[in-house]
Amino acid sequence: MADAIETTLPTQQLEAMKGVKKVPLEEFFTSGHRTCQGCESALVMKLMVKAAGPRTIVLGSTGCMYVANTTYYSTSWVVPWMHTQLGSSGSAGMGTAAALKVLMRKGKMKEEPINVIAFCGDGGGADMGLSAISAALTHPQYNFLILLYDNESYANTDIQLSGLTPYGAHTTFSPPGKAKRIMHRRWKKNVAGMLAAGHPECRYVATVDASYAVEMMNRVRKALTIGGPTFIHSLDPCPKGWDYDPMLSHELGELAVDAGVWPLYEVENGLLKLYGRTKQIAEKRARRKPVRDFLLKQGRFAHFTDDDIDYFQAKIDEMWTKWLIPGVIPFHTELDRDQPPA
Amino acid sequence: MATALTDRVLMKGNEAIAEAAIRAGVQAYFGYPITPQSEISEYMAAHLPEHGGAFLQAESEVAAINMVYGAAGAGARVMTSTSSPGISLMQEGLSYIVGSELPCVIINVMRGGPGLGNIAPSQADYFQATKSAGHGDGRNLVLAPSTIQEAADLTLLAFDLADRYRNPAMVLTDGITGQMMEPVAFREGPSLPREVPAWATTGAGDGPVRLINSIYLEPEALEAHNQRLQEKYRRMQVEVRSEAYLMDDAVVAVAAYGLTARIARTAVDRARAKGIRAGLLRPITVYPFPTQACADAAGQVAGILTVEMSAGQMVEDVRLAVEGRTPVRFYGRLGGVVPTPPEVLAQIERLLSEVKAR
Repeated sequence: MADAIETTLPTQQLEAMKGVKKVPLEEFFTSGHRTCQGCESALVMKLMVKAAGPRTIVLGSTGCMYVANTTYYSTSWVVPWMHTQLGSSGSAGMGTAAALKVLMRKGKMKEEPINVIAFCGDGGGADMGLSAISAALTHPQYNFLILLYDNESYANTDIQLSGLTPYGAHTTFSPPGKAKRIMHRRWKKNVAGMLAAGHPECRYVATVDASYAVEMMNRVRKALTIGGPTFIHSLDPCPKGWDYDPMLSHELGELAVDAGVWPLYEVENGLLKLYGRTKQIAEKRARRKPVRDFLLKQGRFAHFTDDDIDYFQAKIDEMWTKWLIPGVIPFHTELDRDQPPA
Repeated sequence: MATALTDRVLMKGNEAIAEAAIRAGVQAYFGYPITPQSEISEYMAAHLPEHGGAFLQAESEVAAINMVYGAAGAGARVMTSTSSPGISLMQEGLSYIVGSELPCVIINVMRGGPGLGNIAPSQADYFQATKSAGHGDGRNLVLAPSTIQEAADLTLLAFDLADRYRNPAMVLTDGITGQMMEPVAFREGPSLPREVPAWATTGAGDGPVRLINSIYLEPEALEAHNQRLQEKYRRMQVEVRSEAYLMDDAVVAVAAYGLTARIARTAVDRARAKGIRAGLLRPITVYPFPTQACADAAGQVAGILTVEMSAGQMVEDVRLAVEGRTPVRFYGRLGGVVPTPPEVLAQIERLLSEVKAR
C-alpha cells in the first residue's frame, strides 16, 4: 500500500504540436466570457485548455480569469471548472489531484489519467499564494500543473500593484505625481526562476508567452505529460492595466520577449533550455530590441523620463550580461551599485 | 457640531474613511486589494505618504493584519481595511491582537457571502464582527455608520477607542456606504495625544523588558488573562451609542443599523404619514450593543421589527435585550439585495396586524 501511495499515476501522453496547422480545432474555453477587448489572459486560458484536451479539470483562483469567465449564471468553460480561494491554487490543485488518486486507488473511479490544472493570477500566485505553490511543488506523487497568468497587476480590482508589477509602472497604488515621479521602485519578482531553483522535486518549470502560441501550448503539454507538480508562468499583456490600444496585445507580448524583458525558458528535470526568440537572442542569432520600444507603447510608463528608460534598459542589460544564468538566475559573481534615477 | 457649508466636501464613503483616518493621525496603513473597499487603499497610497505616514501593500490579508500587529506592537497608530473575505483571512491575526491587547483600527466594507459571494452590500458579517475577534473569547469594538459623515466621525472615534482600551476597533460598513458619495465635513482629531506607548517594543535599554504576546501555557494564567480581558469588555460597555428616531410616542419600533437604518427611517416616515406611530432604534455601536435602549423600547412598543441585510444576526441581540417582553420579528434580504422602504413598511404593517390579532 505504501508503494501505491508514493507512486505517481501515469499521465496523459500529449505530443508536441508541430506547427500551427496541427493545432486541434476543438475548443474547451469558448465564447461567453466577459473579459476586456484584447485580453491576452483569456487567450492563455483558451490555449492552455486546448493543449490539455477534454479530460482535464481546471481550477482557478480569484482574479480576472475567474470573475470574467464564470459569473452571471454563465461560463465559457467546457471542461469541469472550480473556483478556489485567491491564494490557494497550489493547495486546491493538490487536493484535487490527491482526491483523484485516492478515488482511483480505492476503485471508486475508473483509473485513467486526468489532467489537473490550477491557474492563478500574479496577485494570487506570486503574492498571496506563493507559499501554497511552493508547498505543492514539493509533492512529487501528485500530477497537476499550476499556471500563473501574469498581467502584472491586480487587474480584477482595478489595477493595484502586485509583486509582479514592473518597476515604475503607474497603478492605482503607485500614481506618479509632480513631487514624486516613480512611486513603485521594486523590481518584479522572478517567480519561475525562484520556483525552479528551490524545488528539487518539481520536474518542470517554464515561462511562456501566448504571442508565441504553439510554443506556449507545447509547454503546457510537456508539463502535463512529465507529471508531478509542475509550474508555468505566462506573461499576459493587459490593455486596461498596461494602458494601450487593445489591438496591440499580440505585439506587446512579442516585444516583451524581443526586448529581453521576458525570457522564454524551461527547466526540465533540472536541465535549463532557453527556447524560441529568447534562444535566438542568447545565441546572437537575433538582436535584442530596446526596452524603449516596449515601454513607450504603454500608458503605465508614460511618465518615464529618458533617465528612467535608461535605468530600465540597464537593468535588462544586466540581466543578460551579468546574471550567473542570463535571464534566469540573478546571482552575480561581482556586484555593481544599483543607481535608480532620483 | 455645526459646520459651515464651505467645510463640506462631496466624497465617496471609502475615501472619506481614509481621509478621516489620516486626520486622526494614522501613522501606518497596510492593505490588500478587494472590492468594494479598494479605494481606501488607493487613497492611502496617494495621500498617506504626503503626511509622512507609511503605506504598505500586503501580499494577502493575512499579511496585512500581521503587519498591523507588528506596527501596533511597535507603538504606531495603525489601520487596515478590507471586505468580508479579507476579514475571514484576518481572523487569526485579529485574535493575536486582541490577546496581546494592541490598539488598531480595522475597516470592514461588507459584501455578499458566503465564499467569494459578490461585491454588493451586505450586513452578513455581524456575527463575525461582534461575537468574537477571531478564535478565543476576544471582542472587537464595533462601530456601524449610517451616513458618510458618520463613517468619517466613527473612524476618528475608532482610533480613540482603540487607544483607550488597547483593543481593535472595527468600523463595520457595507459596499453601498463605501461606494456612494455624500457631503462630509472632517473633524480634526484625535482627542487622545499619540505618544509611543510605554508598553511598545521600542528597543531595549530604557526600562523593563517589554513583552507582547498572547501565549499563557498555564491554564490558570490564561484564565486570569481572560478574566482581565472580560473585565475590560465590561468597562467598554460605557461606549455604547444608539440613536432613537421618533421613538417617544412609538407603538412599533424598527431596529436597524448602518445602511438598512437609512431605509428603515424612510419606511418609518411613510408609516407616520399613514398614521402609524412607528419609530427607529438605530445602534451606532453594535459591540457594545445598545441592550438597555432595546430593553427600554420593549417596555413601550407593541412589537419590534429588525431589518438587516443578512439572514438574521443582530436580531439575536435584540431578542436577548428584549427578553420576551414584546414580539420581535425579522425582515432580511440576502446576498447583496437591499431592502426597499415599501418592503419594510409592509413588514411594519404586518407586525402591527399580528400584534392586534393576539
